[in-house]
Amino acid sequence: MTKWGMVIDLDKCTGCQACTTACAMENSRLPGESWQDVLFYHEGTYPNVKLSWLPRPCMQCENPSCVAVCPTKATWKTEDGVVLVDWDKCIGCKYCMIACPYGVRFYMDEKPVVQPDVREVFPGDGDRIWNPPYKMPDHLEDRKKGIGIQPPGVVSKCTFCYHKISKAPKGVADLDEDNPETREYTPACVRVCPPKARYFGDLDNPDSKVNQLIANKRGVRLKEETGNKPQVYYLSGGGAPVVPGERSQRRG
Amino acid sequence: MERTVATASRRRFLQATGAGSALALGGPSLVPGEAGSGAVQAQPAAATKIVKNICHQCPARCGIDVYVTNGRVHAIYGTPDHPISNGKLCPKGPLGIYVLYDPDRWKGPMKRTNPKKGRNEDPKFVPISWDEALKTVADRLNALREKGESHRFAILYGRGWGASCAGLLGTFGKLYGSPNVPIGHSSMCSDGSIIAKKATDGNAGYNAHDYRHTNYILMFGCGFLDAFRPYNNNMQIWGYIRGEKSPKTRVTAVDVHVNTTLAAADRGLLIKPGTDGALALAIAHVILSEGLWERSFVGDFVDGVNRFKTGQTVDPATFEEKWVKGLVEWWNVELKDRTPAWAAKVTTLRERDILATAREFGTTRPAMAIMERGAHAHSNGIYNAMAIHTLNALVGSLFAEGGLMYQMPPPYGDLPANADDYMDDYAKNGPWKQYPRIDLKGHEDGYLLANNMMQEVGPNHLAGKPYKLDTIMFYLTNPIWTAPNGQIWEQALQDVFVIDTSPFPSETGHFADLILPDHTYLERMQDAPTYPFEGYPLTQLRVPAVKPLYDTKYFGDTLIEIGKRMKGPMGEYYKKLESAENVIRHLAKGFEKNPGDNGVDSFEKWVEKGVWYKKPYLWRQVRGEFFEWDGKGYNKPMTAEEVKAKLLKTPSGKFEIRSGLLEANADWIAAKTGRDKAKLMFPIWEEPKHPGGGDLYLVTPKQALHAEGRGHNIPMVIAHLQPVVGGRGEAFVEIHPETARQRGIKDKDWVKIRSSVGEIRVRCRLFEGTRPDTIVLPMEWGHWRAGRWSMAVPGGHSGECTVNQSDRITGQCNYYTTKVTVERA
Amino acid sequence: MATATLPKLGFKPSPYLVGAGALFLVALLYTIYLKVTLGHHGFNTTNYGVFWGLPIVAYDYFLLTSTGLTLLASLPLTLGLRQFDPIAKRCIWLALAALVGGVSILFLELAHPIRALWAAPLNFQTASPLFWKILCVGAYTIVLVLMGLAFARGAAPADIPRGLAVLATLLALAITLIAGSVYGMIVFRPFWYGGELPVAFLIEAFMGAIAFLVFFTYLIHGFAPAMVPERTRALFTGSLGALAAGAVFLHVLFVVTRTVTGLWSYGEGLQVWQYTVDQPLYWAALIGGGLVPLVIFAVPTLRAQPWLQILGSLLVAAGLLASRYEFVINGQLLPPFKGSWAASPLEYAPSQLEWMLVIVGVLLANTIYAALESWSSTKEA
Repeated sequence: MTKWGMVIDLDKCTGCQACTTACAMENSRLPGESWQDVLFYHEGTYPNVKLSWLPRPCMQCENPSCVAVCPTKATWKTEDGVVLVDWDKCIGCKYCMIACPYGVRFYMDEKPVVQPDVREVFPGDGDRIWNPPYKMPDHLEDRKKGIGIQPPGVVSKCTFCYHKISKAPKGVADLDEDNPETREYTPACVRVCPPKARYFGDLDNPDSKVNQLIANKRGVRLKEETGNKPQVYYLSGGGAPVVPGERSQRRG
Repeated sequence: MERTVATASRRRFLQATGAGSALALGGPSLVPGEAGSGAVQAQPAAATKIVKNICHQCPARCGIDVYVTNGRVHAIYGTPDHPISNGKLCPKGPLGIYVLYDPDRWKGPMKRTNPKKGRNEDPKFVPISWDEALKTVADRLNALREKGESHRFAILYGRGWGASCAGLLGTFGKLYGSPNVPIGHSSMCSDGSIIAKKATDGNAGYNAHDYRHTNYILMFGCGFLDAFRPYNNNMQIWGYIRGEKSPKTRVTAVDVHVNTTLAAADRGLLIKPGTDGALALAIAHVILSEGLWERSFVGDFVDGVNRFKTGQTVDPATFEEKWVKGLVEWWNVELKDRTPAWAAKVTTLRERDILATAREFGTTRPAMAIMERGAHAHSNGIYNAMAIHTLNALVGSLFAEGGLMYQMPPPYGDLPANADDYMDDYAKNGPWKQYPRIDLKGHEDGYLLANNMMQEVGPNHLAGKPYKLDTIMFYLTNPIWTAPNGQIWEQALQDVFVIDTSPFPSETGHFADLILPDHTYLERMQDAPTYPFEGYPLTQLRVPAVKPLYDTKYFGDTLIEIGKRMKGPMGEYYKKLESAENVIRHLAKGFEKNPGDNGVDSFEKWVEKGVWYKKPYLWRQVRGEFFEWDGKGYNKPMTAEEVKAKLLKTPSGKFEIRSGLLEANADWIAAKTGRDKAKLMFPIWEEPKHPGGGDLYLVTPKQALHAEGRGHNIPMVIAHLQPVVGGRGEAFVEIHPETARQRGIKDKDWVKIRSSVGEIRVRCRLFEGTRPDTIVLPMEWGHWRAGRWSMAVPGGHSGECTVNQSDRITGQCNYYTTKVTVERA
Repeated sequence: MATATLPKLGFKPSPYLVGAGALFLVALLYTIYLKVTLGHHGFNTTNYGVFWGLPIVAYDYFLLTSTGLTLLASLPLTLGLRQFDPIAKRCIWLALAALVGGVSILFLELAHPIRALWAAPLNFQTASPLFWKILCVGAYTIVLVLMGLAFARGAAPADIPRGLAVLATLLALAITLIAGSVYGMIVFRPFWYGGELPVAFLIEAFMGAIAFLVFFTYLIHGFAPAMVPERTRALFTGSLGALAAGAVFLHVLFVVTRTVTGLWSYGEGLQVWQYTVDQPLYWAALIGGGLVPLVIFAVPTLRAQPWLQILGSLLVAAGLLASRYEFVINGQLLPPFKGSWAASPLEYAPSQLEWMLVIVGVLLANTIYAALESWSSTKEA
């Protein structure tokens, strides 16, 4: 059975945020609804300041906290390993947001991050919280899988571009944007990444490049202590924690 | 602004006759992506088509695939077989869709009805037809010409793309009779490096680079991973040279604050603003004194014994120069005392870091030194840039594999008519010829050696010196905002007829008398030869993805339509040109005899593929010998004359450390700047002059999310612009915590930034990564007339504090050199 | 307020009911107006801030006060301790009122509250504490309504079916413990995590219940201690007062041990404890809402004073709200994985709309309780 996973090489990542914007446009997200986000951290004092950054999609955990805590099973995990939100079942309680250690979930009914509110410029039709002219095509949206623009009052999150990857031929080991046969199935964040710091493939397939990279370049999962076991691995070389502890950070 | 039904049908009529692009309406053979192109491919859904275009958000010209479904654009990805984008995009690329659907766009041509102009004056624009608009302009221009005052018409352009838009301007000026058509923005861009290269290796252009094969990059003040072009491709390169290539390319980056470029490099050097030249000189000193220079390219001591010792002069006769001129003289008059210890004091860098950098750079081949505005947007910019570029000569990377070269132009076909055949007497000999350019470019009272001096247009017109303009037209430039101290322009544009062609409201447009809005780029057919990239010729095409949403007109067509309405043979010329699309079709004829590597040999194929290119770059320097491509390899040796004609285009045919260009103008330079005639032609150290009257350097860089002025109304950009200090929806000035503490400023306080020309209020973030003597405020926000999102970003505009000072030799506007005071607001 | 004690069946709206009801309607209309015009924009919870704000705090507060009151009522109804009969009816009525008030706040906060009623039971996500909470609260509501109506129709405590009472007790216990595990199960939030959370919630529920009982008993008798029936007063001075002291003592103990444990460790995430003890609110809740009422209820001579009983109850109720607020909010102040995009710690203050939600809930609870009390004119027993 396919288990979709992602590998992100932090040595190659240049912190440009193309993954964030490509995701935002492919999936018609609101400003601040960063299904994919790049997190920046810095510590140290002048002139020895360390600046680091972390591209953060949904971790699509093997043991997802969000699925466990959802009272209506609106959040669920597909057979091929992707955690999705059924917008017909979500009641907007936000327990999943509380429970997610990686902060990847969004409830967009609240104050807009950027003024004026884009939702008022491109108002939704009751069925969607907004409706811009560049929305993804209707036939790609799927409320039961949290794909497309959400209705009011529900939580949304990264779908690993499920509307794309679900159409990939069965048994394919990797979805590589440089391969014309798999390009259109590749998630937007992986496809756009200029330094090719992101890879996407089947963690259950021993031939996949993602498994090879994790082995060769010491891929790590983040926040191991939660036991959530993300399906997103980071190649940072050495396995050192990438996200500094709030408490331990050296500040100026 | 109401659009009536009548004007809508007029729009269609105009489209059919003027800008009408049959391609936008989708002739099946011309819409790419539908005809199966090759073997089994993952195709987008059947109702979706892909149209080729070029991203508009910076000059890199990445080819993009625009996804259109049911007439709506909903995704943009990099074109897979385009050499610059290779299927990838920077963060700005995907957001281009916002530009098309921006609700604040102008919906059609308009004229001003409020005669008063000012920041707080409502122009009271009313919609007019294109006929009326074009007639207004033509009548005005014809009248001016009749009076013999055609020199008082100026066209200023910023991001010109190619032969079908900005490329038409020079001819227009020649036929019409104005030295001010066009005035380019390059002096407000990066002429500092262009002229420095012209002065040393004879090529007035940005370098093309062979990054893929270089083993060392030394970067001065160019945000390689922030905004340096071609940004998208830079990052692709980065992933390769840092993640895949063996050996891994080493990088040292120099800047005034910690950014992603410095953080990702192996060594980040936080340098005092304006002192990059001192660092470069010290590195050169080490290269020479430790014998690290590339002897096959530079030359050597006749007996092989290195006489470059700190503090000691060298007899020039003992050194035999190969491809450089003036090395020993340079050592003697300038370089012999420029030690790392000296440079450490000037730059505030550690001596051990300067030494380590110099040794790494000097012992790694191939190595290249690159720079942009951070290094040369200062009063000593010419010398900083020359010193840095000379490093490339010292290590022999000019025209070498893994080094730098220059960009070859595309083999465009001829235009439908030859302009020389349409020049009347007035054009050849009219009174306009006696007038200098309004910006005094090329004039000894102004900037004799500059390419352009756009930042002087406003101030000069205001002062009436050399004269007052009558009409100004702006294309892809917004000088009230982008010029330093733009408040002057607000005064200057009061008494001149302003025509703005931007699709969007802007500060300059606020002062316009006439708005002739362009299409946005996804609606345009437009050519764009590549920004300097990898040297081999490459040119690409924008193909409209959708029919124009509003009653707009491509600038190239606007210009041609105005031209048609000019009296005399000039009108005939433009009637021959017909339309911008016709121009482009003629350009494409050049491909018939020069098919591109991807098979593009016609207009139709160009539309289908979006890009024409032909590898390789034709010349290469190998261990001091130059070769030309013979079809199979770099095998044909070049004579010195050929090298001088094609590559090192200086008076001596060599890399001139002792610049012949500057030496030829020594009298003028000495008179205007007081520099020493014995030294001013060498890369020398000179203390920069910092205007403004304050105690902190104000530096205003571009950010990855927004490199040039066209994305400030995009909500996604606003939400992600300053990731290092977490600006979601607002803009910050970075300030060092101790610097802030001394002024009683706390994190996220509002502060006042003041210089001799203006004062602004911005919120601040304390950031340890900023030099304590410097504040960093991205030049992105502070719009007071633009789209609704742009204007809602709190905080002032850095330009209002930036003093208009330019490098006297290059004309480069010194954006990063003003000194300001900061206090709690 | 104090009417003659002639037994008279039928509904007689008291000034308390009229007042609470009127205020409730006004507040409700204003809140609906705000909700319609602002939607969730009117909330100060955001994706880069705190997710669960004052409304959730208030909902939990009311819900657990309700379950606490039911547990208190279990003393006579389930355990058969007849000396506690005088308080049974009032406890159940207060429990019902608090439940409705609390749930109404939740319904105003949730985007799709009605959906929860069918989506939760039909999908049966057994791993989720919140699922069980919804299920139990649903059943609990039905049970409470039955018991409340029974009392309203004049039933005596001994008349309440034992089975119903046992069910009520079990459900109240379950809800309280599950409510604790909603927070206590979240392993990456060490401020909340722990198996002791359900126990702490249980103690707090019980403590709050006694406080509410005492306060509203006096309120419904017009704050005239002489009007309170003798048996009830004896309970307050005697066993219930002592129980109150015990509950407050255990609550204070929990707070102190959690605080000391949290402050001692350098563990990532526990720095919130330092932030917590730096807030005046924490000390106000600990001392004013803990130590002072502890003394009041522990010292027999103090405990016997009606006005001190009222004061002690108010202090406990207010302190408990503050404690719950700090607990829920502070547990969210360290944003997970937001990097520079969010401040650390986060800042939160309830918005006007969030306050209005709470006020609506409070007024609704009061209205319902007042209605129940008005149902029969006898305030005996």
